[in-house]
Amino acid sequence: MIPLSWYLILAASIFCIGLYGVLARRNAIAILMGIELMLNAVNINLVAFWRYLTPSIINGQVFAIIVFAVAASEVAVGLALIISIYRRKTTVAVEEINLMKW
Amino acid sequence: MPIVPFDTSMIAAISAELLLLLLAGVILAVDMIWGSKQKDHLGWITAGGLLFILLISLIFTRPEPVERLIFGGMLRQDWLTFTFRLIFLFAAAITSLLSINLKGITGRGEYYALLVVTTLGMSLMAASADLIMLYLAIETTSIPLYILAGFMKSDDKSTESGIKYFLFGALTSTVMLYGFSLLYGFSGETNLYLLSERLTGGEISIWVLGGAALLVLVGFSFKVSAVPFHFWSPDVYEGAPTPITAYISTASKAAGFAVLVRVMITVFPEISLYWTSILAVVATATMTVGNMVALAQKNIKRLLAYSSIAHAGYALIGLVAFSELGIASLLFYLAAYVVTNLAAFAIVVFFANTVGSDEIADYAGLSRRSPGLAFAMLIAFLSLAGMPPLAGFVAKFYVFAAAVESGLIWLAFVGVLNAIIGLYYYMTVLKVVYLYRSDDDEVPIAVSRPAAIALGVSVIAVLGIGIASGPWLGWALDTASSLF
Amino acid sequence: MTVLQIIFLGISVIIVIGALMTVSSPNLVHAALWLILALAGVAAIFVLLEASFLAVVQVAVYIDAISILIVIAVMLTRRAMGETERQINRSWLLAAFAAFMVFSGILSLFSQVPQLANTPSDLVESSEFYIQELGKALVNVDQSIIPFEVASVLLLAAMIGAIFIARPPERAGGDS
Repeated sequence: MIPLSWYLILAASIFCIGLYGVLARRNAIAILMGIELMLNAVNINLVAFWRYLTPSIINGQVFAIIVFAVAASEVAVGLALIISIYRRKTTVAVEEINLMKW
Repeated sequence: MPIVPFDTSMIAAISAELLLLLLAGVILAVDMIWGSKQKDHLGWITAGGLLFILLISLIFTRPEPVERLIFGGMLRQDWLTFTFRLIFLFAAAITSLLSINLKGITGRGEYYALLVVTTLGMSLMAASADLIMLYLAIETTSIPLYILAGFMKSDDKSTESGIKYFLFGALTSTVMLYGFSLLYGFSGETNLYLLSERLTGGEISIWVLGGAALLVLVGFSFKVSAVPFHFWSPDVYEGAPTPITAYISTASKAAGFAVLVRVMITVFPEISLYWTSILAVVATATMTVGNMVALAQKNIKRLLAYSSIAHAGYALIGLVAFSELGIASLLFYLAAYVVTNLAAFAIVVFFANTVGSDEIADYAGLSRRSPGLAFAMLIAFLSLAGMPPLAGFVAKFYVFAAAVESGLIWLAFVGVLNAIIGLYYYMTVLKVVYLYRSDDDEVPIAVSRPAAIALGVSVIAVLGIGIASGPWLGWALDTASSLF
Repeated sequence: MTVLQIIFLGISVIIVIGALMTVSSPNLVHAALWLILALAGVAAIFVLLEASFLAVVQVAVYIDAISILIVIAVMLTRRAMGETERQINRSWLLAAFAAFMVFSGILSLFSQVPQLANTPSDLVESSEFYIQELGKALVNVDQSIIPFEVASVLLLAAMIGAIFIARPPERAGGDS
């Protein structure tokens, strides 16, 4: 059988790859993809903990469902904002979005 | 703490949330039916509805004598929930009054509906007693706020504000969510109160708890804009529509503190020594960075942004003190800060409507153009600076007293030093308002009725909380005692 | 090493490669396709964990809805950043270092928790039972009805907001 730690290490590595994407990418859409990877890592964590520790309590799966719903709304809003700024400035590179200095 | 099974009295406990949902529906329906001329009344409907809900929740959602977990442990009915709900509803009502007659916003049903939904999210944030509910409530607050910050589609600064807020918010909330997943994994529970019972057995090493606490703190620091997660706030505050800036800097920050206080005290009492030291450093850095950078600002919205970072630092002192008085002083500080900052932003809305500028230099001669407005500004800024007898002074006094009581004399000292720096830049603005002259001294500032009501109510609240602070502190102490 | 472990390792390799290509591919359309591969791998992981309903949701929500949205957004904004342009910022080394530090930090946390070496007990019920339980939990007043309803409010609000923001302003300098 597969030990729990394997799943957690897989999730941690996806999480950190996503984190790298968020920190290193210039394109706002690519940053959003990094965030999606991080959310998937969390979901692996949640489902693995549910399966290994408390299969009789369904809360872990409920949590994962809620994360799905939030991820969907986050992506919709994020892409709408990206399209809105693209329409104004024809750019999606985050460091060119600097009318106000950081 | 046991979870109470459902009975009908619990419907009353969430009546405010249900009514907020109804209000959002009414706004959207009215928006579809009315012609564009009548839609200017949408702001009044929102403000009136929020005020009505405020009264209802004051009467019907009062907590039971014993705190209880309701709806399967998702929510907790206690004084913290009740107090913060009133603060959010008040701030939302003022915000919707300020939004009336604002170009690009007035008559927009989506705007008011999203404002109501984000208020619903904040109210749930304060009530959440479960990781699932907490994460969802935080996102229900944040996602509508991202849209509201970027609401002025034909304004470059507003779209930029929206996207910056979104990228920072999405990243920090995901890191926080990873922390939540670890907390669930290490305890096998999602309910904060059951979870803390599992974690306090001593089986989990403090390093593991500390790691989860750090991840969770990232998300909360973003919500309260504490250093080092404060970068977003000046840009977002400057670009967002001014009423939304007012709302983000007051209610959203207060909501961040509500969950910060509840989670740290409930879940991590075992390692309180460690996180209070971390937060002491964060509080010091937050106050100092906020005040130092504020000194150099030329734009009033950016100045208030940095000042609000500094205020988050002062409020954190109350949590660092980690005592009942500390939490009570934190709550008192937040209430005082919310009403004061709303008043300050109401003036910015007025001024920008007439003059079309947010630059501090353009405030020259305001005392001649509109003595009433200048006087309101005097009160708001002196309260922010912490001058007696205004709300800001009493609030700072209690926070520093709580720090001294817990033996953190150095932190109180740092706070006092920072208050002096703060005084300097608030006075600089007031100097421009009262002493400098401008070429259009004769041109009066147009006063719109709804915003005048909002300003009047906020200023009265600043004076009221400052002069008669006793009952308010009593309330805050009651609230704090429900947490320990 | 059992068959299950080999399958797990195979899926993991696919996911990690997909994720790495997602964050490093200079062509964003390719990056989005790699992302879909990684997300499909995660769905397979859910199957391994006997959460079949979540695997279906993963396919329906992530691979269908979210990925398609991302691909469309990439297409719409294609003019903004050509493939020749640099896709990573100057401080990418710092970013890689930070991500690595977080990774080792998380791993060192895990090494402190003994029960992570656990292997699972067999599920006592059939997988349909757990799907039923999940469905009941979502609408039970003594379990998760509040999050379930709030999630629907959030989705509706996000939809209204996203439509408003993504629609072009009605008139230049006009009322929007």
